[in-house]
Amino acid sequence: MSLVINSLRSHFFKHLLCTSTAAAAASTATALIFGHRTRGLVGQSRFSDSVFFFSERYKLLSQLASKTATFSTSRSSSSLETLPTDSYTSPYLSVTIRCQKNVADMLSEALLCFGANSTSIDEHDDSEVGDEICISSIFSVSQDVKESISLAVDSIGLKEIPSYDVVMHDHTDWIKESFHPVEVIEGIWIVPEWRKPPDLQATNIILNPGLAFGTGDHPTTKLCLMLLYDVIKGGEVFLDYGTGSGILAIAAIKFGAAFSAGLDIDPQAITAAQHNAALNNIQPEKLFLSLVPSTGSATFTHEIVSKPTDRQHLNDKGVFTETEKFHVVIANILLNPLLDLADQIVSHAKPGATVGLSGIISEQVPRIIQRYSPFLEDIKVSKMDDWACLAGFKKINLG
Amino acid sequence: MSTLKEILTRRPVAATIRLTVPAGGARPAPPVGPALGQYRLNLMAFCKDFNARTQKYKPDTPMAVVITAFKDNTFEFTVRSPSVTWYLKKAAGLEKGSGRPGHVTASSLTLKHVYEIAKVKQQDPYCQYMPLESICKSIIGTANSMGIKVQKEFD
Repeated sequence: MSLVINSLRSHFFKHLLCTSTAAAAASTATALIFGHRTRGLVGQSRFSDSVFFFSERYKLLSQLASKTATFSTSRSSSSLETLPTDSYTSPYLSVTIRCQKNVADMLSEALLCFGANSTSIDEHDDSEVGDEICISSIFSVSQDVKESISLAVDSIGLKEIPSYDVVMHDHTDWIKESFHPVEVIEGIWIVPEWRKPPDLQATNIILNPGLAFGTGDHPTTKLCLMLLYDVIKGGEVFLDYGTGSGILAIAAIKFGAAFSAGLDIDPQAITAAQHNAALNNIQPEKLFLSLVPSTGSATFTHEIVSKPTDRQHLNDKGVFTETEKFHVVIANILLNPLLDLADQIVSHAKPGATVGLSGIISEQVPRIIQRYSPFLEDIKVSKMDDWACLAGFKKINLG
Repeated sequence: MSTLKEILTRRPVAATIRLTVPAGGARPAPPVGPALGQYRLNLMAFCKDFNARTQKYKPDTPMAVVITAFKDNTFEFTVRSPSVTWYLKKAAGLEKGSGRPGHVTASSLTLKHVYEIAKVKQQDPYCQYMPLESICKSIIGTANSMGIKVQKEFD
């Protein structure tokens, strides 16, 4: 028995994989206490005090831990399964709690441990009279709000449960609130579907991103669009790896590329991109969109790719195997996927083609350069606001 | 501590939002969506930023995030690593701590585990100036209160 446990523990750091949020629930309360006490202990050695304090607090919490395990599992299942499929209309509970100002911080941390998805405290004006402050907290529909609140209140030592109201809301489209027309480069505008383009003469790319990434707002999208603008002279074949809302693929066609392909692992991204292609009046022969399996999955669903013209790009098993066909390849994703998929991304590019990589912060640039220098030469880095974009040419003779 | 210039030009704060998000897994869907959406913050920017900054953690470790939303619809956020008890439970292979800490030992760990956890914790913005030894001592304290024994080496 101990041998088994030993071997499990020796693999501890390799197995910090997907975890249930139930485990995290009861433990973040002690993180708060840990955090508070350690601030006061810098340079002093009063650890006997803190250990005693700890055991007092944790006795209370560990008794409640068994209860949290049961009702937190419902939260973990709901939070992990609501991405990315049905988030458009999933309801949630919004709870407003009134409490004293001095306990507001601790109460909101405790609420997070005992089942709340999030808590927010509005900043009060100093001119307001009175001791009360409102915490608004969001729970998923399957949570027992009363139970969570009473446990949270208990754990910080308040005597009585403060008054609260519960309202059920439907998930609205929050993206609409913050998406405005933006001029990326002179003469190129990205306009949301529900607004009119400010300048009708300019090249306007109309978008409805849905729940996919890519509104044109983000520095990395802007950097990639500027790169595209410089590189596309007309007639190129372009690949957008991690297309999101399809913004880069559509922009390439508008700048004059002959053909664009967009790949993504998120089915919602593909549907959003197809929708956006239609909004911008792009013929299906010019734009090909496909789902790629995320690493580890063997099966490949190609129901999304329904147009017969697209079949030519897929082999018998429905896998995208166009190698060495693209003049320009851009991947605007994240550091880890860029490192893992380096071989695949570069294999799609022709020798001498431009390869662009983004979605990384400045401190991650050296690692990307190290990973891609066997494949690319003449790598240039452009930066905006702590985000970086690398551009290089694929080596002509790869050993 | 903030400089005087920072204090004078500080933007007015609208709200403080606390969330738990899996590393590399921020999406506009709930829980992130409604919580940030009601203050009209740019969801995509937060998701991309958060995902990029948590790339160094294993995917789906629950990170605690505190977002400060300003009245002009901009925001700043700090990411904290998961709690010590979460790491201890992972290391010991437990679902939850012991029912009677101090009396019933749920599991045991070595100093090597404590040291590794302390190294991760030191990267947190609040713990960067603490000597590693004191972080280790407080991790041992947490372990004791959970019913996890810490030994020098395995028998």
